[in-house]
Amino acid sequence: MADDEYGAAVDEYLTRAYDGDRLRELLDAGAWHPELAAELAGLGWYSLAVPEDRGGLGAPLSALGAVFVQFGRHLVVGPQLENVLVPALLADERVAAVVETGVPVAVVDHGVTEEWAEDLGSVTLTSGRLSGTVHAVRFARQASLLVVIAGAAVCLVDPAAPGVRIDELDSADPGTEFARVVLDEVPADPIPDDDLVARLRSWAMLLLACELSGLAHRSLEHTVEHIGRREQFGRPVGSFQALQHIAADMHMRWTGLHNLCLATLADADEASVSELAIMAATAKAHAAEVAVSVCEDAIQLHGGMGFTTESVVSRHYTRALALRAWYGDQTELRRRIGASLLHETDPRRTT
Amino acid sequence: MESLDAFRARARAWLAEAEPPEVPLDLDSRFTVLRRWQKTLFEAGWVGIAWSREAGGQGLTHSHQLVFVEELVRARAPQPIGLIGLEVVGPSIDRYGSDRQRTELLPRLLAGDDIWCQGFSEPEAGSDLASLRTRAVADGDDLVVSGQKIWTSWAHVAQWCALLVRTDPSVRKQAGISYLLVDMSSPGVTARPIRQMTGDGEFCEVFLDQVRVPRRNLLGAENEGWAIATHTLGSERAGATLRRRVELEVAVDDAISELRGRPETPRVRAALGRCHVAMRVLDAQTRRTTARLVAGTGPTPLDSVDKLVLNDVEQTVLAEIAGLLGPLRAVLGSHPHGLRSQRWVHEHLYSRAASIYGGSAQIQRTIVAERLLGLPRG
Ligand SMILES: Cc1cc2nc3c(=O)[nH]c(=O)nc-3n(C[C@H](O)[C@H](O)[C@H](O)COP(=O)(O)OP(=O)(O)OC[C@H]3O[C@@H](n4cnc5c(N)ncnc54)[C@H](O)[C@@H]3O)c2cc1C
Repeated sequence: MADDEYGAAVDEYLTRAYDGDRLRELLDAGAWHPELAAELAGLGWYSLAVPEDRGGLGAPLSALGAVFVQFGRHLVVGPQLENVLVPALLADERVAAVVETGVPVAVVDHGVTEEWAEDLGSVTLTSGRLSGTVHAVRFARQASLLVVIAGAAVCLVDPAAPGVRIDELDSADPGTEFARVVLDEVPADPIPDDDLVARLRSWAMLLLACELSGLAHRSLEHTVEHIGRREQFGRPVGSFQALQHIAADMHMRWTGLHNLCLATLADADEASVSELAIMAATAKAHAAEVAVSVCEDAIQLHGGMGFTTESVVSRHYTRALALRAWYGDQTELRRRIGASLLHETDPRRTT
Repeated sequence: MESLDAFRARARAWLAEAEPPEVPLDLDSRFTVLRRWQKTLFEAGWVGIAWSREAGGQGLTHSHQLVFVEELVRARAPQPIGLIGLEVVGPSIDRYGSDRQRTELLPRLLAGDDIWCQGFSEPEAGSDLASLRTRAVADGDDLVVSGQKIWTSWAHVAQWCALLVRTDPSVRKQAGISYLLVDMSSPGVTARPIRQMTGDGEFCEVFLDQVRVPRRNLLGAENEGWAIATHTLGSERAGATLRRRVELEVAVDDAISELRGRPETPRVRAALGRCHVAMRVLDAQTRRTTARLVAGTGPTPLDSVDKLVLNDVEQTVLAEIAGLLGPLRAVLGSHPHGLRSQRWVHEHLYSRAASIYGGSAQIQRTIVAERLLGLPRG
C-alpha cells in the first residue's frame, strides 16, 4: 500500500466511526478508553510498521506519518504514539501484546525535553537497577509495560514489579492521561541497541509533527467552512478581506508544515540516526509554532463560539498546546538545531 | 538528452575553471562586470538552458536550468545581468512572439547584448495594474506612446522595454491593453533612476513622450496584451521562487561559516535554528513548484501559496541573520559575531521588497482566499 493509502483508509474509518458525537462523548470522559484501544488494535493499526516476520504489516516507519496526520485531524485520543511506535521499533514479546490488545505501553522518558529537565526528573541505571522519578509519563497508569529510558539504555519494566510506584495525575490535555513514575532499585536488563533511544525520540518527534499538522489542517477546514457560512452585516464574514487574509495565511502556514512533514517522511527511512535527529527536530520545531498559531486564528475566526468547549477548534487548540513542547517546542529545538549547525555534531548527544 | 547528473558534473567542472568575477559595490561597474559575465556564460552555453535552439538556447529542460542555477549559486558566482530578459520578459517573447521577433530579439537577449526592462507599473497603477493609463494611438504603421512608468528595474541601462499600454480606452480595462516591445533609444524615452532603501539606484521612472513604435513591435495582437502580461508575471514568479531558494541556502551557509569559531550564545543558536527550519520549509515547498514547472502546468492559485511561503522564509531568514548584528548594524565595516554587517544589512533591506514586487502579499492572500479556499468574494 502507498503511504497516502494508509492515511486515506484511516481517514475513511475515523470519519465514519469516530467523528461527531462519539468524539464529543469520548472527550468528556477523559483520554483513556479501553474499548477504543481494542477497536484500533483490532483494525491492525498498531501493527502497521511492525516487520512482517514479527506478524506485522511491514510498512516503513515513514508510512506512519500519514496515519498521524489523520490522528491529528480527527483528534484521536489515547496512547496512539506509544502503541504504534514502540512495537515497530522494539522486538520483544512483551511489547508485541500491545498490538493485539491495545493496552498501552508507556515510555518513561525524562529526556522529553532538556529545558524542563529539572521539573521532569531523571532515571539512572546503576548495577542493573533503575532508580529515579519521572514526573510526567503518558498513560503509565493504564500501561501493561513500561519502557524506561536511562541514559542511552532502554529497559522493559513490569509496572507491577516491586519498587515501581505510579501516581495518577490530572491532565489538561484532552487526548492524554498522565502519571508520575517512581522507580526504586528496580532490577532491569537494558536492551542491547545503541541507537534505540535516539530513534525512539526522533520518530516520536516526527510523528508528533505530523499529528500537529493534522490538527492545524482540521482547524483550518472548520474555519473556512464557518466563515463561508456565518453571516454578519448582511453577508458572510468570510467575504471580509481582513478575515480572508487571516485564512489565507493559515492556509499558507499549514501548507508549509504539511509539505515539510511530507518531505521529511520521504527522506526519513534512508537517513542516518544523526541526520534523522536534525530532520525530526526541524519538523517538530515548525509544527510547534504553526499548529498553535493556526489554532489560535481558528478560535478568533469562530468568534464566541470558538471559545466554548462545544467547538471542535477549542479542543484542537488545547491539544496542540499540550503537544507543542512534548519532545521540544520551537524555542528549545531551534537552539539545539543551531548548536548542531555550528558544531556539525549529533544534536541529541546530550541527554 | 544529457542526463541531469552528467549536466551537473559538466556545469560544476566548468564553474571551477571559470573564475567568476567579484561583484563591485558600485552600481555602474557592477553592471559592466555582470554584463561581461553574461557573455562568458552565454558563449559557454549556460544561458537559456531551457530555451529552444532556434531562439539561441540549449533546448534542455527546466530541470537542467534549475541544476545550473544551483551550481552557479553554490560556486558563489553571480547571476548574469539580464535576469529580467531571461526570467521575466524573454519567455513571453519566446511563447507569443512572431518568428521575426524571436530571431531578431532573443539571441541578443540571451547573449546580454540587449538588456531588457519591464515597463508595467505606473504611478497610478500598481497592484491594480489593469488600470494603467499609458496610451498608444495608431498613426500609420506606428503606434505613438505617451505616459509614465515607475519602478522599472534597470530601465536606465536597458536597450529594450516590454511595455504595457492602453490601445482601447472604450472597453473593460483588461480588454484594451497591448504589449509593446520598445527600443529604449527611441526619441521621447527618458529613464531616471530612483534610489532604493538599499542605496542602489536599480529602478527608474520612465517618461514616454510621443514615442513612435512600429506596429510590428506589438507582441501578440493589439488589445490582447493582458493575457501575455499574466504569462510574464507567472514566469517572473516561477524564476524567482527557484532562484531565491538556492540563493538563500547559500546565504545561510555563509552566515554559518562566518559565525563558526566565535563565542556561541543562545541567541546565535536560536537564530540559526530558525533559519534552518525556514529553509527546510522552503525546500519542501519548492519540490512541488519544480514538479509543476517541469510538467509545464500553467498558472494556478498554488503559485500564490508558493510566493507567500517564499516571502515569509526570505524575510524570516534575513531578519534572523541581520538581527545578530545588534547595535553594530549601523557601524559600516563592522563584524559583530563575525558577520559581515554590510552584506547582511543590504540583504535584509532587500528582503522587504519581496512581499511588494511580483504581486504584493496582500494580493496573493486574496487570490488564495477566493480561488483556493473558495471564500465568497468581498
Ligand atoms: C524592488 C522592486 C522592483 C520592481 N521592479 C519592477 C519592474 O521592473 N517593473 C515593473 O513594472 N514594476 C516593478 N516593481 C513594481 C511592483 O510591481 C509594484 O510595486 C507592485 O505591483 C505594488 O504596486 P504599488 O507599489 O503601486 O503599491 P500599491 O498597489 O499602491 O499598494 C500599496 C499597499 O496596498 C495594498 N493593496 C493594494 N491593493 C490591494 C487590495 N485590492 N487589497 C488589499 N491590499 C491592497 C498593497 O498590498 C500594498 O501593501 C518593482 C517593485 C519593487 C519594490
